[in-house]
Amino acid sequence: MSEPAQTGVRGFRPVDDVVWELPAAARADMRVPARVFADRELIGQIAADRSLEQLQNVATLPGIIGAALAMPDIHQGYGFPVGGVAATETPDGIVSPGGVGYDINCGVRLLALPLTMGDLDRGVEALVHEISRRVPVGAGHGGALKLRGSAFDRVLVQGPRILLAEHGIGTAEDVEHTESEGCLAGADPAMVSERARVRGSDQLGTLGSGNHFVEVQRVAKILDAQTAEAFGLREDQVTVLIHSGSRGFGHQVCGDYVRMMDAVHARYRIALPDRELACAPLSSPEGRRYMAAMACAANFAWGNRAVLVHRVRESVARILGPEVAEGTRQVYDVAHNVAKLETHDGRQLCVHRKGATRAFPMGSNEIPAAYREVGQPVFIPGSMGTSSFVLVGLPGAMKRSFGTTCHGAGRRMSRTGARRQITGAELRHKLEAQGIVVRCPSNRGLAEEAPFAYKDVERVVAVVEQAGLAGRVAQLVPVGVVKG
Amino acid sequence: MIYWWVEHTAEVQMEIEAPSEEAVFTDALRGLGELLADDGGGEQVRREVAVDGRERAILLVEWLNELVFLAETEDFVPEDVGRIQLSDHGLVASVCGHRGSPRHVVKGATYHRLAFERFGRGYCASVVLDV
Repeated sequence: MSEPAQTGVRGFRPVDDVVWELPAAARADMRVPARVFADRELIGQIAADRSLEQLQNVATLPGIIGAALAMPDIHQGYGFPVGGVAATETPDGIVSPGGVGYDINCGVRLLALPLTMGDLDRGVEALVHEISRRVPVGAGHGGALKLRGSAFDRVLVQGPRILLAEHGIGTAEDVEHTESEGCLAGADPAMVSERARVRGSDQLGTLGSGNHFVEVQRVAKILDAQTAEAFGLREDQVTVLIHSGSRGFGHQVCGDYVRMMDAVHARYRIALPDRELACAPLSSPEGRRYMAAMACAANFAWGNRAVLVHRVRESVARILGPEVAEGTRQVYDVAHNVAKLETHDGRQLCVHRKGATRAFPMGSNEIPAAYREVGQPVFIPGSMGTSSFVLVGLPGAMKRSFGTTCHGAGRRMSRTGARRQITGAELRHKLEAQGIVVRCPSNRGLAEEAPFAYKDVERVVAVVEQAGLAGRVAQLVPVGVVKG
Repeated sequence: MIYWWVEHTAEVQMEIEAPSEEAVFTDALRGLGELLADDGGGEQVRREVAVDGRERAILLVEWLNELVFLAETEDFVPEDVGRIQLSDHGLVASVCGHRGSPRHVVKGATYHRLAFERFGRGYCASVVLDV
């Protein structure tokens, strides 16, 4: 028998069927409430780790507005929980590198091929194999595009636009169909350390490891025909979803600035419950420097995904022909880990999204003209072997979550826990038995990303839809995956 | 000397107990080496490493981040510490390892729940790695 609806979870009380809240008065150092979008099943899973405590810590940050928010895919991170959202006032609220994370602008990009799964027939294995040959995976370097000096700096300042202009990578439509057109303003390469440059100089077009992937998919179901048409998606179509970030470049930027801010927060009389929340006022020299360096890393990440798309199009051209590659459209690209200056209710705020996705509704000038009548595309990767979803931003997101929704299924089990339950070889066989082609050099890495290590993506997506943050447009199922 | 891993939903948390401060740093390298380990067999190399930090906990983060940097930029898989010298403002060490294919991306050592303390007659430390 289920518990009564009023029953709290670690002090969080239900506001409605999909919102739980802990009042600011619950802890002396909280400045605003902590609020979670979740149903009863998910809040139970969320309460199993330290993510709710981490969310309360976020609620203590100086200048935070409204509430410390968590999406239904929230899980324990470091400092901020993954799936956390915090908006701070400008100019004197804080910015926190830990609130963005080490993989600055980790994000996803969806491509739509001009063919159906029926057209692809037995080409899936060849396509997945070709992608795995062209896309370097794992730790470190190996990208074919090596940029140095001013050529590298121009990517930091301009993102994919300069890759198109100077290297013929991508298309003008790709750039337009990217959050912020792949370029955060204010990027200043002088604010980036030499070590970050060394790490990033040959990492454009590399996937990384962990939960990063390139997945070949089939549109299994259209759930909102009008919006799917605007996004250029139809049933049985072949799509490719790419998940990667700013690689070692972004990791170094984050590390450099966490250390810098850890050393100065006392100067600004900031008391923190967790050192990884290291932060400084946006208006301070350290805050301004971080924003300029973070923008470089965000632009680098968009450049990285642009080169990855280029490699996928090369693979498509080789296996399926150049006309198929030319007809391969970028639906959109969204960032998961970023702090952006945005206007909400007439106020300029700094919105930290850590494992969360911007989800602006129809009418926003921040989204491409082609999508302005329906809303911004959002992509929610499932876990290997399960569905992913295409969503669209809804007006409720502006009212309830600073224009934000979830970013994935959200882990619920540790990596060692996953490895205890299945070996990489067993999982590989299981996925292949489902008809999914797998290319992953590490059996251990594969096991750590087992589907059961994640929450139920369908339940996560149902919550954000019920909360009015984003609506379902299409369901995608995997047919092949390349993992780092 | 010993290190072990604590369950963490998304990242990895390393705990260390050791009889001396130097041994904490040595064990931290071995733990990271376990995460990065490939199938071995590459050219054996020795690297001199110097990092600064007036606080031991911060120094531990910087030490691990330096090893992550070497893994990522030089394919260096750390195995052991040949010599290590601590001072009030940093450490210098000679690190043994091999060139190979570091297995796992470690994005960085974090300050989350970071600790480096006296424990009985020795020291204990805790650090969360973003992976």
